[in-house]
Amino acid sequence: MGTTNPMRPYLGTLIGVKDLATDIKLFQVELNDSQACERFIYRPGQFAFLSAFGVGEAPFGLASILSRGSALEFAIAKVGTVTAALHAMEEGSIVGVRGPMGNCFPLEEIKGKNVIVLGGGIGGAPLRPVLHTILDQRDDYGHLTILWAARNPSLLVFTDEYDDWQAAPRTELHLTVDQGDESWTDNVGLITELLEKVAPSSENAVTITCGPPIMIKFVMLTLKKLGFTADQMITTLEAKMKCGIGKCGRCNLGEKFVCVDGPVFTYTEISQFLESFV
Amino acid sequence: MKAATRKDVLAWLTKLMGEYTVIAPTVVEDNVLYRPVASTDEIAFDFTRTDMSPKEHFFLSTQPILSITKGHGEVSLAEPPLEREQVIFGVRPCDARGLKVLDALLLEHEPADAYYAERREKTTLIGLACPEMWPGCFCTSLGGAPDDAEDVDVMLTEAEGGYLVQTVTKKGKNLTDGLVLSKASGKRPQPRLSPESVPVPTQEVWRQHFDDEVWAHLADRCLSCRVCTYVCPTCRCFDVRDYVTQSGVEGSVIERLRAWDSCLSEGYRRIAGGHDPRPTKMQRLRNRFYCKFHYCPQDFGPVACVGCGRCIVACPVSIDIAEMLGDVAKLDKR
Repeated sequence: MGTTNPMRPYLGTLIGVKDLATDIKLFQVELNDSQACERFIYRPGQFAFLSAFGVGEAPFGLASILSRGSALEFAIAKVGTVTAALHAMEEGSIVGVRGPMGNCFPLEEIKGKNVIVLGGGIGGAPLRPVLHTILDQRDDYGHLTILWAARNPSLLVFTDEYDDWQAAPRTELHLTVDQGDESWTDNVGLITELLEKVAPSSENAVTITCGPPIMIKFVMLTLKKLGFTADQMITTLEAKMKCGIGKCGRCNLGEKFVCVDGPVFTYTEISQFLESFV
Repeated sequence: MKAATRKDVLAWLTKLMGEYTVIAPTVVEDNVLYRPVASTDEIAFDFTRTDMSPKEHFFLSTQPILSITKGHGEVSLAEPPLEREQVIFGVRPCDARGLKVLDALLLEHEPADAYYAERREKTTLIGLACPEMWPGCFCTSLGGAPDDAEDVDVMLTEAEGGYLVQTVTKKGKNLTDGLVLSKASGKRPQPRLSPESVPVPTQEVWRQHFDDEVWAHLADRCLSCRVCTYVCPTCRCFDVRDYVTQSGVEGSVIERLRAWDSCLSEGYRRIAGGHDPRPTKMQRLRNRFYCKFHYCPQDFGPVACVGCGRCIVACPVSIDIAEMLGDVAKLDKR
């Protein structure tokens, strides 16, 4: 079976583990086999399975881009058994990596457009590659509006990058939290309220959203109110998966599989699913 | 058409046992199951529908897919191979067709499932035609037939105190080289067909009736027990889990297991954070039926039901897939 077995993970080493937010860490993984590194060509929006051997494996959105370095980065919230096992690991530990899997954000196709990126909580993880791509090729894209939300300030991800994002030309960052704390001076409220306040123009624009299903649903409704068409709304969906290659049957939404047909979909596609993602 | 005496078939099977793992219908407690046999005495020749399909020898109910050794800061992985080639005797045409459905999902839809591919490659199917359609059988409504030889390697049909032998594939030819064959004297007996046929709604009809109340009505009595999934020759949902078999200061040995799962289980679609887009029994039962008759045809080609009737017999609350098809067809005419 060897390399032809898609259920066999590559071995990788954790070369960095950083705290990002409360119970959220950034894991940097270097694949042990140099040939595997060469084969692991991935694009923004794709995901991979990480194994904590002895506990199990789960899929995570890749939070890095290839052009910024060979380490694969994953921002992972501690919510279940596999994520708890990963959180307990230290630098130097060995993990398994299967991937890259799924489709990607149409970043080539949307060149020249204004981009509105909406991230909720850990949903910011797969959006970071979108932001990094646009920031690294700033001239290829129009205005970049980032709407970034979390339940509370301690759950905001990539806070150490906000200065970079804001310093980029034609880029604005808006933050909001459902519930503030004593030191929070920025917006308080749902991302939909922030979206209505910022009210970006739909002209020559696309939106890219990731967050909990309920957030995606209401962001789409708000975007519609602001004049965006379903084709202008791109989102990435989450599902529990066991294989990532369209076999295990876990992630279907009607006849579509989140793992192979997604995770990136336009709202036009989502509206045609027989089953609701919410 | 060739023929072989019962005695010669038994001698042939005995010979095959030296070279292959021979799997055949056997009586296990009150069930007829495909199990490895060491002698033809163990084979239940007089069987109707086995309680489980031979799917379990290609896509195992629990299968180690990776052997993981962890210790001294290192990890090594190994995939357990299938050591010996297999021959399955007494495969019914519907079950062989079920394997073709699994082929479409697991092999032809890339990337191929390596574990299933290996077992499929290393297994030869000796079919046994059904003399009749039994209660619950509706293979003919789905394009199959009780004597359909298309999906096996060798087909045997009971006749003249022995068997008519049809070699279908090259694999089958290789296998029957060891069987004493003579020219058949009589005609091949025709199976007794069920007079009733089950309507299979079109893709369009399925799409139109997703939100119909028929699903809630059917699901009302579903116990989410999942037995229909397990007896099904085409259901292929699986779970993957790590199981620590040895653990000590020197390290640990872990088996990564793949096991049958069912989309009927509560929480099957639940994601981290607790959101579940398919929380009701109605949605889950509907998903199973749609997977078989709408999603699989859309995604992989074949309908994922072969009309074997096992789920009808096994369901503790008499949810009848053939009846359901009739109900959906009726909706279309409403």
